[in-house]
Amino acid sequence: MNTHASLEALHRANPRSGDDFDPSIEAVRARIERPGHGEVPPVRSRRPRRIAGTLAGVSVAAAAAVALVEFGTRAGGIENAAAAIRQAVALTAASAERSGAVHVRITHDDAAWAAKTLTWNGNDMSVADTWPGRGNEMRVVDGILYFPDPEADGWLRLGSPSGIDPDSGTTPAEYLAAVREDVGGTTLRRLTREVSGLTTRTLDDGSTVYSGRVAAGQVARETGFKEGEAIRVLPFGYVAHDEAADPASLLRVEITVDAAGVVRELAVSWGTWRYTVAYSGLGATPAPSVPPNVHGLKRHVGSD
Amino acid sequence: MPDTYTDMDLGDADRQQRFDDLFAAFGSDVVAYCRWQSESPSDAQDAASEVFLTAWRRLDDVPAGDAARIWLYATARRVLANHRRSNRRRVALQDRLIVEAAASPDVGAPDQERELVHEALRRLGRRDREVLLLAEWEGLSPAEIGHVLGCLTVTARGRLHRARRRFRAAFEELSSVSAPQSARPLRRELRVREGGS
Repeated sequence: MNTHASLEALHRANPRSGDDFDPSIEAVRARIERPGHGEVPPVRSRRPRRIAGTLAGVSVAAAAAVALVEFGTRAGGIENAAAAIRQAVALTAASAERSGAVHVRITHDDAAWAAKTLTWNGNDMSVADTWPGRGNEMRVVDGILYFPDPEADGWLRLGSPSGIDPDSGTTPAEYLAAVREDVGGTTLRRLTREVSGLTTRTLDDGSTVYSGRVAAGQVARETGFKEGEAIRVLPFGYVAHDEAADPASLLRVEITVDAAGVVRELAVSWGTWRYTVAYSGLGATPAPSVPPNVHGLKRHVGSD
Repeated sequence: MPDTYTDMDLGDADRQQRFDDLFAAFGSDVVAYCRWQSESPSDAQDAASEVFLTAWRRLDDVPAGDAARIWLYATARRVLANHRRSNRRRVALQDRLIVEAAASPDVGAPDQERELVHEALRRLGRRDREVLLLAEWEGLSPAEIGHVLGCLTVTARGRLHRARRRFRAAFEELSSVSAPQSARPLRRELRVREGGS
């Protein structure tokens, strides 16, 4: 056999020759084209000019997302609603590509239970526990991880996240990778792909709330084992419990898409618990800065 | 409001027409590329959609003519890399993508040959596989591959040469082993190994 023969075999295996290839193109076309061209102007007219301009590109996913907000409220519009969510997620993920912020909050019986704020810009990131009285923060700037010094004023410079605590469970690098997954849209895509029983309602500000149910296993992913029990973690790092820890349980999910077609909030409820992730400043959040009064770990250890 | 919205040109029919033309001309290329770089058709569609969303947002940066195709491949490569980075637990599965990309029973190549091809591709390193398939499935020249990968033409040519040689060696080895057999044992072996990964 010569190279030519092996390459001919390779050419014959090109996936373009598969029967399912053309439908794939159509599926992508459907995701980025806006159905119902004639029905869009009323939607555009309700929005500020700059956003309306955004919608002017009739083939764009952003336009599709907003246009479908109205279709989703009609009978038989559920498929469009699902498509609208997908498009909103795509737009949100694209907008979050560079920078953004999320505010994560868990309530129990309507009382605050935990909260944190994450901001990112490129590979720089800050994860701050905003629960009153705690104020912990982890910051990564230019590939260097910083933590507040627990024993002195200022911050500790801990070096690359990938080089820390390699054998002690979830490392900062793993944690940050999980956060990137959550902020980058992967989590949203997974949830919206699996949502069932979809209903919609429109808010006064033009936002649309898509409600449905998603298996807990899609919300809280298994990340490892602790004392023989599988650990499931909600997006942005909270360990799941009760129904949220049972992958088969159906949790109530609400996804709020704002008038510009961007996901504004994801809320998951089970029992008396409610978990919300609010997005803001997508594409417009400045990078976290090197914290003040930084000293190295070696110096810190040496001073003990 | 994200900055990404501010550069949209309001009501520009030409802009829309250009975007539509772009999809008509290169939509299948982007879908194909995302298909063999993704672990599932659904992920590939997500990625391809994102590529064209990026193209819409940066339409002024998209070069004219066939160079647009190279721009789209390079964009798709970055989109897929972001997906992989954000989901590294699934990276191992990426190595199966070649096997799954053409897993449909209706693809053109005979089953056994296809099995051999995909197993041979699986045995290549990611970089070899990418450069080989950009050339053989996407039809790019070494210069174009260099643009997509962000390397010199001479580097792309060297990688392609080595990738072809390694593919041939792997394909020949597999062909000699499986010649008297049906494709089924190979598929089964593959699945056992995948299940254990």
